[in-house]
Amino acid sequence: MSTNEVSLTAEKKKTIGLKIVTYIVSVLLALMVLLPFISMIREIFGDEVVILPTASGNFTVVTKPRETMMTWKEFTQLFNKPTWTAFGNLVLVTVTSTILNIYFSAITAYAITAYEWKLREAFEKFIIVTMMIPGTVASIGFVQMCYKFHLANNLVMLIIPAIATPMTVFFMRMYLKATFSKEVVESARIDGAGEFRIFNQIMLPLMKPAIATQTIFCFVASWSNSWVPSIILIDDKVKTLNVLNYTSATYVRGAELLMCIPPVLVYLFLSKHIVEGVALGSVKA
Amino acid sequence: MRNKNHIERHYTKWGYFFIIPFVVVFLAFNFWPLASTLYYAFCDLKHAGNTHPDFLPSIGKPLFKNFTEVLKAKYFHSALKNSFFFFLASTIPEWLLAFWLAAMMTDRRMRIKGRFIWKTAFFFPKLIAGTALAGSLLIQFISIVANGTGYSVAAFAMNGFGITADDMKFFTSVQFIIIVVSIFMHFGITFIYAVAGITGIPVETFEAAEIDGATRTSIFFRITLPCIKPMLFFITVVSVVDGIGMYDLPSYFGSFDTTRSNLTLMMYMQNQAFQGSYAYDKASAISLIILGIYIILAVIIYFILLRDKDEIQLKKLIRQERRELKKGI
Repeated sequence: MSTNEVSLTAEKKKTIGLKIVTYIVSVLLALMVLLPFISMIREIFGDEVVILPTASGNFTVVTKPRETMMTWKEFTQLFNKPTWTAFGNLVLVTVTSTILNIYFSAITAYAITAYEWKLREAFEKFIIVTMMIPGTVASIGFVQMCYKFHLANNLVMLIIPAIATPMTVFFMRMYLKATFSKEVVESARIDGAGEFRIFNQIMLPLMKPAIATQTIFCFVASWSNSWVPSIILIDDKVKTLNVLNYTSATYVRGAELLMCIPPVLVYLFLSKHIVEGVALGSVKA
Repeated sequence: MRNKNHIERHYTKWGYFFIIPFVVVFLAFNFWPLASTLYYAFCDLKHAGNTHPDFLPSIGKPLFKNFTEVLKAKYFHSALKNSFFFFLASTIPEWLLAFWLAAMMTDRRMRIKGRFIWKTAFFFPKLIAGTALAGSLLIQFISIVANGTGYSVAAFAMNGFGITADDMKFFTSVQFIIIVVSIFMHFGITFIYAVAGITGIPVETFEAAEIDGATRTSIFFRITLPCIKPMLFFITVVSVVDGIGMYDLPSYFGSFDTTRSNLTLMMYMQNQAFQGSYAYDKASAISLIILGIYIILAVIIYFILLRDKDEIQLKKLIRQERRELKKGI
């Protein structure tokens, strides 16, 4: 009996030790999150930071003191018209492509889950295979296609491809595998609902947690996607905000604050669902 | 029975109908560019905005000219090496950190509080630093820290332990900073997926293991990891795609880099295609090599994680039975 008690307290001590270590690591990591904000404020109001190359391939960082502190008026002038146009373009592209991505991924995953068509298993395998091949591999062909059909400088080229995103389909499929029940669909059929209506009015609301989770991920991915847009968007009128950052030095400072706000807002609106959404999707049926 | 089959068949056409948008867009915007990239790799296609590829044999050049040129290039070798170095050096610590934290946070005996706050905090870098620009700021800030502390640590170490400045060089290099930032940015997402996977496991499983006296490590390796296999597959794919295809972080230092110590495959491809000579043909060849690497890795991942041996055996048995039935008839 006494040996048992001894081992029990030892176990308890070990647990408390691990607990403390976990809290310390978590707090340190959470504090590190503040770094980008600090450096952003320094960038706007503080010293100028210049990175210089050295002979060995490394670099040194030199800080030049700015002559005067930036005034509030100067600060507001950073948000000029090109910045707002670019911001509007980026919002347009991101919002529409996210909506298309979510809706069509959901309907594709639903088609795999609810109907027993012949090529269903092959199609699911195909989705898994294409998921592992990122779009950047085919970027030469994509840019050439834009040139050939005179679709460069057209925001549509950034919106339409979002319809086919295997990663989102795979995730939705995982979620449906765990939660889908045939009875719901069948009872709706008996009540006389069409297939399309069943998906829109019954299945979509049921998939809410998965949709919320994927909306955050898709939004962030689309929002920070800058490489292909920076090649095909040349005209100032259609440039998105991150392309503007890429290509010019003058509007950068106002833009960087604007860049941070929308993803955070989207996260705050949807974060309630993110936990259960991922958790339910992971259960293997 | 027959009637029900008929009804089922009546509805199956909707399955095909619902995937039409996906398939059409996939063919137009993913498959077609990929196929044309494959074609350009065997063509002569240079200069900005040129859209008239010449098939190599038709202008009297060897078919694999682009590939041999790429494979011979010195930069390609360093790019290949760097890509794998960045991939491994950032993924392994990231996974250790993420899975360790996930296991601790979900441990029932420890009851860590504020899981939602931690989750939000860890996901935040991806949320804001995922945008290209905040990432560059992060690097700037960390570079200052690394420069300052790195040198002082080096000076301190040299005093007593016989460690020279050269030994500490790696920790003040661009590569090290890229790895640190990459870990910092990606570990949150791995953590969220890992926690989600673990919370999906029924609590009774853990209870049973605890009663049997399993230690934490053996619970993690024998129960947790096998139970989150589907999620593990998803995490692995995301890591591979991000790791091998890494270009945004190293390219911030691109213009400062004289020895190409942080050139990755993706960066090399982009430099070839959209800078200097605009060699779309060579860049296509590099794209195909990257694609080959992805396919090899994908096959390995599939065989390790996703192939269900029992299921394959079951299918074999079913097929055998059917054949025997046919013979009997």
